[in-house]
Amino acid sequence: MDVIMPQLGETVAEGVVTKWHKKVGDAVKADETLFDVETDKVSTEIPAPATGVIAEIIVQEGITAKVGARLAVIRESGAKAAPESREGGTRASAAPAVAKSKVAASAVPAAAPRGFLPAADPGQRLSPVVRRLVAEHQLNPAEIRGSGRDGRITREDVLSHIGRRGAGEARTPERPRHDVAGETRKPLNAVRKRTRDHMAHSWTTTPHVVQAVEADFSRVEQVRRSAGAAWKSREGFALTYLPFIAHAVASALGEFPLLNASLDGDDLVLHRRINLGIAVDLNFEGLMVPVVKDASGKPLPELARTINDLAQRARSSKLRPDDVTGGTYTISNNGAFGTLFTASIINPPQVAVLSTDAVRKKPVVLEGPEGDCVAIRPVGILAQSFDHRAVDGAYAAAFLRELKTIIESRDWQQALGA
Amino acid sequence: MDTKVKRGKVPPARDIGRETRLELYRLQLELRYCEKRAYDLFLQNLIKGTSHLSLGQEAIAAAFGVAMKPADWTFCTYRGHAHTLARGASMTGVLGELMGRQCGLLGGKGGSMHLTDVTKGAMGSYAIIGAHLPVAAGAAWSAQYRGTDQVAVCFFGDGTTNIGAFHEALNFAAVWKLPVVYVCENNLYMEYTPIGQVTAVEHPAADRASAYGLPSINVDGNDADEVYKVAVEAMDKARAGGGPSLIEAKTYRHSGHSRADPAKYRPEGELDRWLKRDPLALYRERLLGLGTVEATLKEMEAEAMRKVDEATATAKASPVPSVDDIEKNVWADGGAAWRN
Amino acid sequence: MAELTYRDAVAAGIAQEMERDENVVFLGEDVAAAGGVFKATVGLLEKFGPKRVRDCPISEQAIVGAAMGAAMTGLRPIAEIMFSDFFAVCWDIVANEIAKMRYMTNGQIQLPLVIRTANGAGSRFGAQHSQSVENWAMAVPGLKVVAPAFPADVKGLLAAAVRDPDPVLFFEQKSLYPMKGEVPDGECVDQLGKAKVLRQGSDCTIVALAAMVHRSLAAADMLEKEHGISATVIDVRSLVPLDTQTILGEVVKTGRLVTVEENPRLCGWGAEIASIVADECFWDLDGPIVRITTPHVPLPSADLLEDNTIPSVERIVREVREKID
Repeated sequence: MDVIMPQLGETVAEGVVTKWHKKVGDAVKADETLFDVETDKVSTEIPAPATGVIAEIIVQEGITAKVGARLAVIRESGAKAAPESREGGTRASAAPAVAKSKVAASAVPAAAPRGFLPAADPGQRLSPVVRRLVAEHQLNPAEIRGSGRDGRITREDVLSHIGRRGAGEARTPERPRHDVAGETRKPLNAVRKRTRDHMAHSWTTTPHVVQAVEADFSRVEQVRRSAGAAWKSREGFALTYLPFIAHAVASALGEFPLLNASLDGDDLVLHRRINLGIAVDLNFEGLMVPVVKDASGKPLPELARTINDLAQRARSSKLRPDDVTGGTYTISNNGAFGTLFTASIINPPQVAVLSTDAVRKKPVVLEGPEGDCVAIRPVGILAQSFDHRAVDGAYAAAFLRELKTIIESRDWQQALGA
Repeated sequence: MDTKVKRGKVPPARDIGRETRLELYRLQLELRYCEKRAYDLFLQNLIKGTSHLSLGQEAIAAAFGVAMKPADWTFCTYRGHAHTLARGASMTGVLGELMGRQCGLLGGKGGSMHLTDVTKGAMGSYAIIGAHLPVAAGAAWSAQYRGTDQVAVCFFGDGTTNIGAFHEALNFAAVWKLPVVYVCENNLYMEYTPIGQVTAVEHPAADRASAYGLPSINVDGNDADEVYKVAVEAMDKARAGGGPSLIEAKTYRHSGHSRADPAKYRPEGELDRWLKRDPLALYRERLLGLGTVEATLKEMEAEAMRKVDEATATAKASPVPSVDDIEKNVWADGGAAWRN
Repeated sequence: MAELTYRDAVAAGIAQEMERDENVVFLGEDVAAAGGVFKATVGLLEKFGPKRVRDCPISEQAIVGAAMGAAMTGLRPIAEIMFSDFFAVCWDIVANEIAKMRYMTNGQIQLPLVIRTANGAGSRFGAQHSQSVENWAMAVPGLKVVAPAFPADVKGLLAAAVRDPDPVLFFEQKSLYPMKGEVPDGECVDQLGKAKVLRQGSDCTIVALAAMVHRSLAAADMLEKEHGISATVIDVRSLVPLDTQTILGEVVKTGRLVTVEENPRLCGWGAEIASIVADECFWDLDGPIVRITTPHVPLPSADLLEDNTIPSVERIVREVREKID
């Protein structure tokens, strides 16, 4: 089998083979370190993709080779003939995954080699027919290989995928099930599978950075307490912190549009509309993220009603396809469980996600002209995970500061129209 | 006024029979009273948009109306209520159309400027100056081709004589020797401007006839008998294969160009002078002079008014058209579909 | 079957209808004695005589106005406007009168007439004698608009136009007059409002009209043989009435629409089809709609310039390759 230059980082196109640990004729075991590669940031050890004997070394030490180039050939032991180099891509993809753990062990910084070659980045544009087919068949675009221009997913790609998937599903029952005593096998439902794939993809392609601010919710609390009862009896649901936070987020995103965006190749696509995804837990059975469209145009009461309606419909499985598409920023509200802090995973193709956790009374220091004093205030942590490819820490932090300022100083009474 | 008429087989005044004369008067009365009613209905906001009134010009439409045969065709301008009525179109249909009702001649689809009744040979009123002149020539061509003795009569104003289509149509009709009679109602004003200020010749139509190899014909447009004589002669010539005629009939409109126009551009005294030559008044006097008794005239006047009143009531009671009619009758199949 | 040139098919179509119906008459400038400046009406005067085939003065308003008056009063006239650019000279009669008279009179007026004209570029005649103006006509309610690409279609669609009870503007492509094609023997009557799928493909649907049909077919061949792109080609033939069902049906199969239009860019006939497809086929589109048109300029006269202005086979191939994957 071919040994090829692995994918070493999002922006890395080539590397220098600095050292071969084996020579032609040597035996090698799978996962044993085979060679070292250096890119402009870091040197990495690459393990052998298979067990066998080094048949040929194509690229000598000191030579630069492009990602995917053939570097050496291993004549594998066993009856298996050497597969065509075309499959080398998939095989070699196993290597960097292992390399990742080795690299982690040797504490190499951020340019650790990525996992598999992503089949399709959902950040790219999906044509109307592709979107429709994806929705109709409940597919994950991340799973679909794009054969179109610039790797885009074409209609044919989706149709082929559906065809293969159908075949794949037919084979499933043949997989061996090991029912060891004490274990229960719980098949993943559709939502879980989608979440699995979506989260794995996000995690492996997006460099996450998490920042947090602590916000004083006194003003919000005041309005909640004074208007809460009347609201509940009139609207039929309680007025939580979430609509206030969403209202503030929509305003703050107006000032920080780079966070209301998506990466598309070499462009950061700024979305004109602010469509807030609100993560809703479905009774521990899964996570849905219905979207409040044009959140920035909605007054607070309407925002509260919309969020409530979406959450209800999410829990009763009455969401429409339109309700779950088009999100540009996501809010994940974990506060109900009393957590202090959550570092959420970004919902691609978005570039940031805000986590809100419990608001509880805490002692805070208030600075005054006569000196400092301690007061008891309702305080909550707002943590934003952002995509470091799209924006930097200073910008993201400034957004959080703006968000905190709005929460702490907006006239919430007026906003509620109470 | 000028009454230069080409000599030929012209029936002298005394040869227009009594019956014809009464018919001429009756028709002028109906045209006047109906048009006056349209004026009033506009003030009552029952007629919308605009209306171009021919008050004062009735003699011309009436004279041709009596002279024409049922199979002949009329083409007139947007100032065409009288010409359409003169072919026998119903007053209810005319007033109904002006008021935008179902009973209107056009079902409310065309309005004041497009009155048409093909069953009476009234082949349309046309709102673009000059457009209908070549169309009239085409109808005349159809008669010539099929060998019938039908004649197309085409009415237009003094302003039309300066537009391109006038010249194209006259030349075309003359070259093909088509049975079409072109009648220019010179009411002295091209919309708001005195025609003399914008025309290179004194008689906007008659002085151009020679450019098409046609004789110059001027007639007093306020004398129904004179117009009638000229009409008969021109149509006989056309029927006999003698080709087109171009007639200029001098007249005057009592109101403005359209309902919106108070006609303040008219010099002092002009309207009064012309009101003294009101064609109806002139004709009434003539009839009395020729022996018709007052009672007969009064009866005719009452009858005309009664017809107008009846038509007005019927039209007022007619419902407005359905919005379903909007997408009807673009095509011969009655529909408006441009795609499958 | 006989092989006829496009121009001979015009005369054949007129002759067929004049033979069938004595109310069909024909008028225009230099159409009778001279057989037409493009020699598209040779032999008609000899066959049908000066009463039915008539030469007119240079008076476009009078010509189409007379056609209108004749159609209103029992005849079925075919009028010629020598170059389609000259429609501008008599556009009042066409757009304000002929197109509207039936509607305004609520169906009283009948207008079974045909106005045929020589349309389009490629003959180095310059900007005022080379335009494609079928899109002007498409924009006026009350006019039917036809533009054949093949001699057989010329004859068949002209016959259909003459038999149609409504006004039909018949756009002949002047650069196609010498083109030869098979025309069936005997009576030839086609149908307005029917497009034709000339070639089936899988990667994109090319919709074209008149001269652009031939270029699209040549381009589709090249795309298939040299670039592995498989294109469907549709000849629209009739802009009003429009065969949207055929067009939509084919676009759904490939997911991509390409129009090839000789008219200048703005408000070309393809813009309307693009709009209909974007509306009714949106969820079947696998990529943006591509319009290949003449740029929005008056046409230059020098041969090299003219050939590089109207869409060429090379340009069609290039644009499809660039935009269809």
